[in-house]
Amino acid sequence: MITKAQKYRCTICGYIYDPEAGDPDSGIKPGTSFGELPGDWICPVCGESKDEFEKVE
Amino acid sequence: MKPREIRPRIYWVGAIDWDRRLFDALVPLPDGTSYNSYLIQGSEKTALIDTVDPAMEDVLIDHLDQLGIAHIDYLVANHAEQDHSGALRRVMAKYPRAEVVTDPRCKGLLIDLLMLPEERIVTVNDGDTLSLGDKTLEFVYTPWVHWPETMSTYLREERMLFSCDFFGSHLATTDLYVTDEGQVYEAAKRYYAEIMMPYRTTIQKDLKKIKGYAIDIIAPSHGPMYDRPEFILKAYYSWVFEEPKNSVVLPYTSMHGSTRRMVEYLVESLIPRGVTVKQFDMAATDIGKLAIALVDAATIVIGTPTMLAGPHPDIVPAVFLANALRPKLRFAAIIGSYSWGGRTVEQLVGMVPNLKVELLETVTCKGFPGEADFKALDNLAETIARKHQEQGFD
Repeated sequence: MITKAQKYRCTICGYIYDPEAGDPDSGIKPGTSFGELPGDWICPVCGESKDEFEKVE
Repeated sequence: MKPREIRPRIYWVGAIDWDRRLFDALVPLPDGTSYNSYLIQGSEKTALIDTVDPAMEDVLIDHLDQLGIAHIDYLVANHAEQDHSGALRRVMAKYPRAEVVTDPRCKGLLIDLLMLPEERIVTVNDGDTLSLGDKTLEFVYTPWVHWPETMSTYLREERMLFSCDFFGSHLATTDLYVTDEGQVYEAAKRYYAEIMMPYRTTIQKDLKKIKGYAIDIIAPSHGPMYDRPEFILKAYYSWVFEEPKNSVVLPYTSMHGSTRRMVEYLVESLIPRGVTVKQFDMAATDIGKLAIALVDAATIVIGTPTMLAGPHPDIVPAVFLANALRPKLRFAAIIGSYSWGGRTVEQLVGMVPNLKVELLETVTCKGFPGEADFKALDNLAETIARKHQEQGFD
């Protein structure tokens, strides 16, 4: 069974970080897991920090 | 108006908007504003830093004509918002060989917002430089002041930082530089409060980054320039880095005076406990003043009567704004009068998911407040003072 990479949702604005897409505007390559994002990465929509993200169940 | 010379071959060519009273269809501008555009002539090339609001693009064009500028090579766009980029099309038409110079995110936004032709935009990376001959521009990414694409431009030889909205103030003035620091402090704080406050952890990094540059003049895109940059840098440091102060922000609405009496009583009870209170009647207040108070407050107390089985509709914008601005607030409380019932507290709490606050005791009273209600308000004042003290807020 193939497990899809875990997505995370910003609790402030609802943006969903999808590891398959990455965040190229912020220099994050596709295939980067949420855990691999640098500590100072912020939500590209509302500017919140990583701490404000939760797993998408 | 005439262009203003700042240094040899460096000019202010912007527009002063004395009469504008509302920005973003939301933010009151008690003192108008300005859209600062700067022309820099090097020995080889000429650059224009940002433009003006499209409503005043004739002023910019007239300034360039007065200076006899026949050729511009680079149009630096520090920020894609229309009050700075909105005259780009007109300037690009006047100077058909000029290239727009911006960062990749801003490029995308300029195409989305202004339908600029992609082939006339060149992008720069953080730290890239652009030579104008005897003058050098260095591009410094300063994201989230107040959009993700914002950057600043540093003119090395003159030690000038063109910071766009960063450090800006909505203030129409004929003074090229700040003369009244008190007035500019409030205008700059209002501007920070209304559009930058939610992004302060990123702004902390922007400030640290800027510390690495020797700066004699900060030239923002709104309001006067700073020839004493430490004044505004110190103000920003306090807003983004410091703990909240021992203060309460108290927006309220009252229909027949019961909630107002509770508000007045609570304020009277907080004063001798050494807590600063800023009280705002939503029927009268300028929402910018409320935003300014939110920059430093440790506690928000919301005063509202129950109407239509919930909070009074007039208090809702204050609560919505506080949630959206994500201030440093640590505590919240709700007070107010009701006549028969409703879900006021539940609805208000549901409106502030972004606030990381501890909810203190609610004080509601049936009809006009009486002795037991005043006692409860004294208790609330005591709790607030104690919580602030425990946290070391002063």
